[in-house]
Amino acid sequence: MNTILEIKHLKKYYGNNRGVEDVSLKINEGDIYGFIGPNGAGKSTTLRSIMGLINISSGKILFNDEELNPDDPKIKEKIGYLPSEINLYDDMTVKEIFDFHESLFERDLSKRRKELVHLLKIDENKKIEDLSLGNSKKVGIVLALMHEPKLLILDEPTSGLDPIMQNVFHNILIEEQKKGTTILYSSHVLSEVSNLCNKIGFIKDGIIIKEDLIENINKNDFNYLTIISKDIENIKKDLNLKVKEESENRIVLLCDLDANSLIKKLSKYDIEKILIENVSLEDLFEEYYK
Amino acid sequence: MIKRELKINLKSFIIWTSILVGMFLVVFLIYPYILTDETAKSLDEMLKVFPPELLKSFNMDLASINSAYGWLKTEGFMFILLIVGFYSSFMGANIVLKEENDKTIEYLYSLPIKRNKIMTNKIIVALIYIVSLVLILGIFNYIALLISGDFNQKEYLLLSITPIFIALPLFAINLFISTFLHKTKKTVGISLGLVFIFYLLNVLSETSKNVEILKYFSIYTLADIRNVILKTAINPINILISLGITILFIICSYIRYNKKELVN
Repeated sequence: MNTILEIKHLKKYYGNNRGVEDVSLKINEGDIYGFIGPNGAGKSTTLRSIMGLINISSGKILFNDEELNPDDPKIKEKIGYLPSEINLYDDMTVKEIFDFHESLFERDLSKRRKELVHLLKIDENKKIEDLSLGNSKKVGIVLALMHEPKLLILDEPTSGLDPIMQNVFHNILIEEQKKGTTILYSSHVLSEVSNLCNKIGFIKDGIIIKEDLIENINKNDFNYLTIISKDIENIKKDLNLKVKEESENRIVLLCDLDANSLIKKLSKYDIEKILIENVSLEDLFEEYYK
Repeated sequence: MIKRELKINLKSFIIWTSILVGMFLVVFLIYPYILTDETAKSLDEMLKVFPPELLKSFNMDLASINSAYGWLKTEGFMFILLIVGFYSSFMGANIVLKEENDKTIEYLYSLPIKRNKIMTNKIIVALIYIVSLVLILGIFNYIALLISGDFNQKEYLLLSITPIFIALPLFAINLFISTFLHKTKKTVGISLGLVFIFYLLNVLSETSKNVEILKYFSIYTLADIRNVILKTAINPINILISLGITILFIICSYIRYNKKELVN
């Protein structure tokens, strides 16, 4: 598969303040790439760098293997962007902003616009200033999607949407992916990322700390290993794993050992009970960001 | 996009034009009534009391204010230059920055338009409105003068163009300054301050030979109404300097705008 977007060692500092330290990622055509991280980790800085809203300190951003010039209209025609906070022209009606948007593209966007307006149940006669947060978001979604971009950049796209609209939106994204659209999806909502995305990148303190396919992350190298034994202290020392919880005779460890070596190591201890559980995306998120 | 820019800036244009036209309408309506032969004489007598330097600063040594045209050439044009200066400064300071202040710039930058084109469209609209303001005012005063009495038509035509020579550089300087700012709140003080400083420097430079040098630091020197009244001609060097400053600051604005970062 072709790589549509590649970021190489992106660094951005605002004066002395870190925006991102070292972000490298690769997104292939048709991917829905989940971009996960806590507040201030550098997600929005990365997305804003791609959009050319800020000047990067160093690194490279490649679009279709060529250095990205975000000011190039031909490139912009291929990118759809939904910022986390939508600010549109208050004096316009929804219809007027859609017309304005359409007028800036050479192609006819009316068919896709109609479909999206219908799916998201948007009242085009409303004024922008009268829209609720959720309705503004829906207008933003139409604006990001109506020109059928090759790459869709979404920053916290479902904040403000009700659960029914979230489902509708997710279905739209799945349809988009089937058509070959690549999606960079930044979110805090891990359940939607794990349901939608085929690839995930975790960012922490401005650095991508893990990037993998969702199936590998779900299979992941980590399990929660719960052991009940009177020999807890020795087991702990011997396994030398990260402790999640600990009580008198019980310990929960984050384990990345394979089954054989785990059995070998535990065979010499008197164990009352052992439990191995999958680590969910939420658990992983917690682990990474502790 | 130009259509949209014209639409959103129309309201402020109408307000500014109405203020100026309204003020001159009032003056032209009441001037014939308040200016009888006696009051005209007493006005001239009163002005003799003022120091010649002060009268020179307001060109009152060249024209008497005992007629509507005399008033227009002196106080009237002083007022026009100030108001047109404010309008041009505000246009320069706000026309591009407003998008950032209202946070609509993030949407605008996501559209398939180059930053240069955004800037060009906004400059075109600002220039259309600045020139329109000067034109409307010029035409209105011309009609009012035709009705109210005799005046030197060539001199008036040249005088009515002079605001352009200060408006364009003031617009360009403010546009350039705005590329360093992120909020329009700060621009009001800067725009007002610049106009007042330039105006004061020009007035002061006329008061004494010792401070004549100040005129080289004022955009208002480029209007040079005094020269138009004295020679019924516009100094071409003023036109060149005005255009030079305008072009220089507009080029700098483009360069700066292309590198400008958005602040959250």
